[in-house]
Amino acid sequence: MQSSFSPGALLRRPEAGAFLGLLAVLIFFGIFGGLTFLQPAGMASWMNVASNLGVIAIPVGLLMIAGELDISVGAMVPFGAMTVAVVSGHYDLPIWFGIAVALTFGVLIGLINGYMVIRTAVPSLIVTLGTLFAVQGIVLGLTVLITKSTSVALVTEGVAKTIFGDFLFNGQVQVMVLWWLAITAAYIFFVHFSRFGNWIFAMGGDKVSARNAGIPTERMTILLFVLSSTSAAFVGLCQAILYNSAQVAGGQSFIFNAIISVVVGGVLLTGGFGSIVGIFFGTITFAIVNQGIYYTDFDRNWSSLIIGILLLVAVLMNNTFRKMALSYAPRKTGGK
Amino acid sequence: MRLIKNLMRAAAVVALMASAASPATAATIAVVGGSNDDAFWNLIKKGIDDATPAVVANGGSVNYLRLQNYDNFAPDVVQLIRTAISQKVDGLVIPNWVPEAEDPAIKDAIAAGIKVILMNAGGADKARELGAINYVGSDEYVAGQAGGAYFASHGKKHVLCVNTLPGANNTEARCKGVTDGMVAGGGAAEQLPLPTTSFGDPTAVAEAIKATLLKDTTIDGVITISAGDADAAATGIQQSGIATVSLGSFDMNAAGLARIKGGTQTFAIDQQPYLQSYLAVSLLAAAIDFGTSLPTYPVLTGPGIVDTVNIDATLAGVEKGAR
Repeated sequence: MQSSFSPGALLRRPEAGAFLGLLAVLIFFGIFGGLTFLQPAGMASWMNVASNLGVIAIPVGLLMIAGELDISVGAMVPFGAMTVAVVSGHYDLPIWFGIAVALTFGVLIGLINGYMVIRTAVPSLIVTLGTLFAVQGIVLGLTVLITKSTSVALVTEGVAKTIFGDFLFNGQVQVMVLWWLAITAAYIFFVHFSRFGNWIFAMGGDKVSARNAGIPTERMTILLFVLSSTSAAFVGLCQAILYNSAQVAGGQSFIFNAIISVVVGGVLLTGGFGSIVGIFFGTITFAIVNQGIYYTDFDRNWSSLIIGILLLVAVLMNNTFRKMALSYAPRKTGGK
Repeated sequence: MRLIKNLMRAAAVVALMASAASPATAATIAVVGGSNDDAFWNLIKKGIDDATPAVVANGGSVNYLRLQNYDNFAPDVVQLIRTAISQKVDGLVIPNWVPEAEDPAIKDAIAAGIKVILMNAGGADKARELGAINYVGSDEYVAGQAGGAYFASHGKKHVLCVNTLPGANNTEARCKGVTDGMVAGGGAAEQLPLPTTSFGDPTAVAEAIKATLLKDTTIDGVITISAGDADAAATGIQQSGIATVSLGSFDMNAAGLARIKGGTQTFAIDQQPYLQSYLAVSLLAAAIDFGTSLPTYPVLTGPGIVDTVNIDATLAGVEKGAR
């Protein structure tokens, strides 16, 4: 380890590429989107979108680093939203109870995902595809059975509204942004400054060797699945509290958007490489690319095209830098 | 033992009644509808359920054939039409969602002597072309026009039609109708097509609307193509801090009705699905059983505007599962 600071070492960190991708799209929209895009209201715009996505993207990214995938998050978002709306909206039970039930379901589905992956050895993509559909079915069936509707209203007041679904700082910033920053900080600590992190990276690199080295790979896998599905349920319940309503459909965009954010953030699709800060930057990049469009004068019919191209550019920059970083060998300074 | 004997006796009575009824011209009707997770098609079911007793009283029956999902849409719909033909029904109520795929099957049904009513999708011209006896439903374009006219008559000048499903025929027709309704009333309107990456993410939709309102401050009206999007739009408008923007939506949900009652949403455009199935089944049964025909063609069930004037009556209908 070099002890002295050097710009080169900073550039070779895994998140450097992600940061440069972020910088590129910021400059792009700074030019085409003008000042409103960078003013507080504009910044709140993409921070809000990034926060909802980011809370899900980090655990999904950790799973990807560990060599797994969880696409059932797409169903857990409406599941979390609908659970809290049915419990606290339809049945009028205390909101805290609704939140607890929603999170419990999140843990439960995560446990099911995790156990099925380690017990059956079926690829996690397929397992979570199964739970994706199954949970969608449960949400739909139970909601229609209980409420005879596919859209349930929820009115929240008091502390719960402030903590889970309100706007702060002149009513611009969703409280979810604070959750996201706090959760990101916690993940950074556990992944990069505790042994759990090394375990996850080792699992993505080579699961068998990791287990042979004494890492509790099965327990870790289950834990990661619990994290991702609980996080998705959490985002869902917060959305229901914020928007005073929950829909049976929706949430599927989180599957793709989370994976895109993770990859833009420099995580390898094959696992074993990536960082929390990288995913953090990747999520912001994705949110900026998505929301920045509305501050430009481009015809809105081209939105998807521009989003696609910018995301590709961001990933390519990232890949280039990763290659440079991985092939770098420190120059020998003075012989022995 | 006695229970079983009683059951058998009851079954025999039912069978007798059924066989006694069948020689008369009793209408057996099949209704094809959308999937279970669609709130709309549960309101349609309520209309069918309420119309069924009258059909049964005359010795007929009604069968609601629903799609499991929309994944294999056109072939599944055609399959349901073929199922109805093979069941030798007398009447068929069918939404003409995918004319290219459905038309041949509907023509076969009519050729087999089945009386057909198009419901919900298709329109009057299509019903005439196929030889259906009527069209019961709303017209997306007319509904849009009504929305545009409502905004214009309430003094709005510049309306944004938020389309989370750009490119789909019905949503495009809704937004085009809004534009034409606004222009006819002396205002202007434009469409905001959102990319698929924001579909189903209320925060992304809300922020897109907020950004557009901040960028163009002349916008004083927003309308969304679905009730769920209106939940997001309400937040987007509130976030923009521009109090003069009024909100309308196509279709409605509980949260939207609460907003209309509370004053943060101006109106909702309802196509009144309950009436679609209730009227379609009743008209078809009467045509088969009694040879009636209705001179009104098409039968439009919408647009019905819900605003502060009729919100209480509407909420009462929601309680009963019909709105």
